[in-house]
Amino acid sequence: MALSAHSVIAESETERDSLYSDFRIEEVEVTARSLTKDIIVPQRLKGAELERLNALSVADALRYFSGVQLKDYGGVGGIKTINVRSMGSQHTAVYYNGVQLGNAQNGQVDLGRFSLDNMEEIQLFNGQKSDIFQSAREFGAAGNVYLTTRKPYFKPGERAHVHGKMRFGSFGLANPNVGFDVKLTETMSLTFDAEYVYSNGKYPFRYRRVLPNGETAYDTTAVRQNGDVNAVRAELGIHHYYRTTGFWRVHAYNYYSERGVPGAIVNNVWRNGERLWDRNTFVQAQWQDEWFGRWSTRLLTKYANDYTHYKNNDVRLLPADNEYTQQEVYLSLANKVQVFNWWDFSVAYDFQFNDLHRCNLLSDTVPEYFKRYSHWLSAATAFNIKEYLRIQASVLMTAVDNNKPRVTPGLFLSFRPYPVIDLSLNVFYKQSYRYPTFNDLYYTDLGNANLRPELARQHSIEVAYRKATKMYDIAVTASYYYNRVTDKIIAYPKGQQFRWTMLNLGEVKIHGMDAKADMSFNLPLRFVLRGRLNYTYQKAIDVTNPNDTYYCHQIPYIPWHSGSVVVGLDWQSKRGDHYGLNYSFIYVGERYSQQENIIYNYVQPWYTHDMSIYGEWGIKRWWLKANLEINNMLGQDYEVIQNYPMPKQNIRCTLAVRY
Amino acid sequence: MYLFIHLCLYSLLLTLYSCRGDEVVYPTIGTHVTDEVREGGLYVLCEGNMGSNKARLDYMNLHSGEYYANWYGSQNPHQLKELGDVGNDIQAYGGRLYAVINCSHKVEVMDRQARHIGQVDIPNCRYLAFKGNKAYVSAYVGSVATPEMLGSVFEVDTATLEITREVKVGHQPDEICIVGETLYAVNSGGYFTNRHDSTVSVIELGGFTETKKITVGSNPQRIRADQSGKLWVCTEQGIAIIEEERVTRRIDAKASNISIYGSTAYIIDSESHLLRAFSTIDFTEQEQHIDISGYEHPYGLLATNDVIYITDAKNYVSSGVLHCYGYDGKEHWSARTGDIPGHLCRVSGAYELHPDTTKPDSTKTCSPYISRVYEYMPAMGQFVNVLPKYEEGDDAEAMCRKCEQAIANNAGGMICLGGWGGYITFGFDHTVENKEGYDLRILGNAFLMSGNETYGSSEPGIVLVSRDENKNGLPDDEWYELKGSLYDNPATKHHVSKTYTRESDTIRNPFHQQPYYPQWIEAESITFTGALLPPTTENISGQNVQRILDFGYADNKPNSDKEGTSFDISWAVDADGQSVSLPCIDFVRIYTAVDEAYEGTGELSTEVSGAIDLHME
Repeated sequence: MALSAHSVIAESETERDSLYSDFRIEEVEVTARSLTKDIIVPQRLKGAELERLNALSVADALRYFSGVQLKDYGGVGGIKTINVRSMGSQHTAVYYNGVQLGNAQNGQVDLGRFSLDNMEEIQLFNGQKSDIFQSAREFGAAGNVYLTTRKPYFKPGERAHVHGKMRFGSFGLANPNVGFDVKLTETMSLTFDAEYVYSNGKYPFRYRRVLPNGETAYDTTAVRQNGDVNAVRAELGIHHYYRTTGFWRVHAYNYYSERGVPGAIVNNVWRNGERLWDRNTFVQAQWQDEWFGRWSTRLLTKYANDYTHYKNNDVRLLPADNEYTQQEVYLSLANKVQVFNWWDFSVAYDFQFNDLHRCNLLSDTVPEYFKRYSHWLSAATAFNIKEYLRIQASVLMTAVDNNKPRVTPGLFLSFRPYPVIDLSLNVFYKQSYRYPTFNDLYYTDLGNANLRPELARQHSIEVAYRKATKMYDIAVTASYYYNRVTDKIIAYPKGQQFRWTMLNLGEVKIHGMDAKADMSFNLPLRFVLRGRLNYTYQKAIDVTNPNDTYYCHQIPYIPWHSGSVVVGLDWQSKRGDHYGLNYSFIYVGERYSQQENIIYNYVQPWYTHDMSIYGEWGIKRWWLKANLEINNMLGQDYEVIQNYPMPKQNIRCTLAVRY
Repeated sequence: MYLFIHLCLYSLLLTLYSCRGDEVVYPTIGTHVTDEVREGGLYVLCEGNMGSNKARLDYMNLHSGEYYANWYGSQNPHQLKELGDVGNDIQAYGGRLYAVINCSHKVEVMDRQARHIGQVDIPNCRYLAFKGNKAYVSAYVGSVATPEMLGSVFEVDTATLEITREVKVGHQPDEICIVGETLYAVNSGGYFTNRHDSTVSVIELGGFTETKKITVGSNPQRIRADQSGKLWVCTEQGIAIIEEERVTRRIDAKASNISIYGSTAYIIDSESHLLRAFSTIDFTEQEQHIDISGYEHPYGLLATNDVIYITDAKNYVSSGVLHCYGYDGKEHWSARTGDIPGHLCRVSGAYELHPDTTKPDSTKTCSPYISRVYEYMPAMGQFVNVLPKYEEGDDAEAMCRKCEQAIANNAGGMICLGGWGGYITFGFDHTVENKEGYDLRILGNAFLMSGNETYGSSEPGIVLVSRDENKNGLPDDEWYELKGSLYDNPATKHHVSKTYTRESDTIRNPFHQQPYYPQWIEAESITFTGALLPPTTENISGQNVQRILDFGYADNKPNSDKEGTSFDISWAVDADGQSVSLPCIDFVRIYTAVDEAYEGTGELSTEVSGAIDLHME
């Protein structure tokens, strides 16, 4: 019986397990095992479910998670970052196949650049990942997004697969993708995936204002300029599994892009002259094995080299032509010992070196150079008390350069009162630091080398329930959380005009509530109905200083209410072809663009209706898929970030083939 | 399943309750901040952060004690994307307001009530200065960007709002200041954080060239002239005093802002964040009583005759505060402003909000009578400053409102245009169509000698009409003369001009002892151009009377003569005398067309007491 992604058991898979599991969800068997083996239940989107969503990039997909606010500057090339549970985007770590993606310069990972084409699974863990067998640094972030790329799968007798995809869409989108998987030996395989994205970014947008009597004050439609993007991605991976316990893999990634930065639309300015070139290259290797059946070891290493070139061609403004080159060297060693069947213990040590060359091409000054050494040491333990209680405790020590090492604890409890009912109560407390970035510390005229790290404390309680029968599968989760961010790093004016500096000034209290439900129903005549609902309430208030006019006001760009609804209907023909219709609705409620919650900073709610229709056909060993998406069906004119208009209706059409 | 349905319903309800609506431009509502009654008003230009498009012009009505946030937005709801991005300077000059909107690359030109008149596109513009009928604007880049990144000062004609000249100066010029015929621009070098510019460019206005550079100290940002023409330049090395084009003295105080009133220069010390005062005579520090030590970031500053205004920009990303102090240190009032209240400008008129935007329901009913006076510029005359009455503090805008009170909406009053050339421009609340026959009536105070059809009191005014071709609602389009009976008379002189000066305003007749020169005009002279009709006055039985003209002139025939006071738009001719066919018109201008003065009765001057659209009657 075919069923959806969320019905896959959500246990903490080892790499070993997943080799033999299947990345094609349609073929996964539903198991009756429980989902609550996870002490921290992640939100996840996987395989076919991911494909069904109207999403081009990882950022688009993350909009369907609860507790997540996406900052989107619009268009294919616009920057997209996420903020988990209002703690700030720099408190969220993003991992690519288990290794964190870094940006020591500004601490932000643009998730709009990660294509879904090569993605098998996206998971979001609040707090940290369930499994204590992880690298030390993974204990360090408040929210964690894990991106897992597609793994090769071969049926008996198969030696190679090729796949190709072509996507066209509005605003000149052209997005071809090709790749292949080769079985080199019985235990070793190689995968390759490459993609090109082009969009001219010229989308129409409209600004309309009315007077209180309903008369139009102004109404104008223009076309977004300088929003073009050209990007190439290529990835190569080699996986090798040996004996029954060991495996290693190497993954190389290269991304290159050139894009325009379309900029804010303000009075009398409808075009911007900034251009950006990026290259992100990394090679990462992982090896892991198990000894004596109880001791596991994992070694991770990575070298990353990122290049950014920013140029402002607008002659009216400060000319800028800067190059930034960053390097990262990362090494991690993790060990886990199973002391008893009910007690695990792990220790991990990570080391990382970052540097940044900043070169101003317009001046003859010597390029600036910054570097940083970081060390993490973690110890964690997990134990089960009968079937009822699972506990995970971790402690992380972080030392960055010569700063005083800081220790942050985390404690996670999962209580499952009934052995036969899949109901659990999960509670956690965790502290995490967000370290100042190179920009925070050393940015010309703005950086402040005396910054302390910003501290987030999370308290969370969650109830999860799931029931699966032959006819339906329902999982419901509700959580309440209270977070507190102190020593927040913010830009603050220096004494003189137009000069800013970074300060540890700011304190935010966040009360939030997430509710989510995932369900699927097997209907007669081989129809399957799926639904996914998310609702988030957040009250994130600034409590820095009672004398501020914005004291206890909602912090910028955090809506009180947000949510999404996804409904899909699938039908499978007798010969196994699939047809489906998917509808999704995303709602982001009213919010404010600045600290003060006053009418001048008010930002209206936005909501989009998206729809997709698709068919999948298997013809001998060929597999074909066609997909048509319509986004923002009602053509709402909205902005996620003020003065950055978003596209109206747009379509995408995808044809994919696999052999 | 029930759960699913419930959740669906709930989300449906949620969306219904919090739907996105129209983006409404709400008019500002005044906040009463003080009971103190003073003259005039104060404009507060709040910069707003770059990219936020939140430059905001607020208005403090000093008469009513009310503070209006977002006054510009309320006055100009039709302005696409509002005032713009980063307000950098505001000044009042010649009946108008000028605001520099830095990142919108424009100078916004408004009337004194902040109603949009036009804009001048100047890239990266910074500060303003004025002289004669020219505005000067400093800008970080010139019309052609150069690799040295030198800035420019632009000269703008205040009548046409067109750039007339440009001169290259140093790096990133900020404030500019005019003393006599010389303009001084500080070159801040703000783009070069480590090696700022340190000069002041000296520009002769005549040739509009930079004649020299004076080295004053690193990163000069502000330059102000005191009473005696000495220049105070705020630099990172303190204040440099320039006399006779060289630095003669330095005051050891780093000022982030400066305002000079009388013989005192007030500064905000950028190190101590305190207000300090220096004498402009002996440069000694003066005792002063205003304590701003509690400010988060003191920013804007304006010293006036009675009070001093200081703003606190707080953290730059939230509302600032405007404080008003007496010189004794007592705080009179404070008001919450927009983001970064940086620039203050006091004006003489106290304005109420434009009625169009405050009225929630403006069901338009067109009136046959004129509704608006745009310009009132009388030439010197015995009734000038009387009809309507000028009061201390009135500006051109205030005088227009007084004219409206007298003659708009069938009010039945009267205004006087003074001697030859003096004019008024008015309009209706709608466009007047050119139909068959007469279209307009213009009322005056002409009368006939009793029992005589040929002679009487006729003070003819020429009537001009104009269409709002650029649709900006303002009479800045081409004018066409309505051809009257004397147009082709060889004695009529076309294209004549005449200048009246304040100096020449010496003659008084016994009945009218007030100044004859329009007192609200700041300029020392006014020049009029137009057509001059031949004298019509004759002395009949000891009385000076005028021969009544056939047709086509205002204030020529009595109001009782309906036909004699009516005009046909089809009479319109262009400057070359060629007939033009106008389907409709939006503005009417009338000027005194004769230049005659007689002892006893004084000069002939056209009077206007209203106008009517004949198609609406």
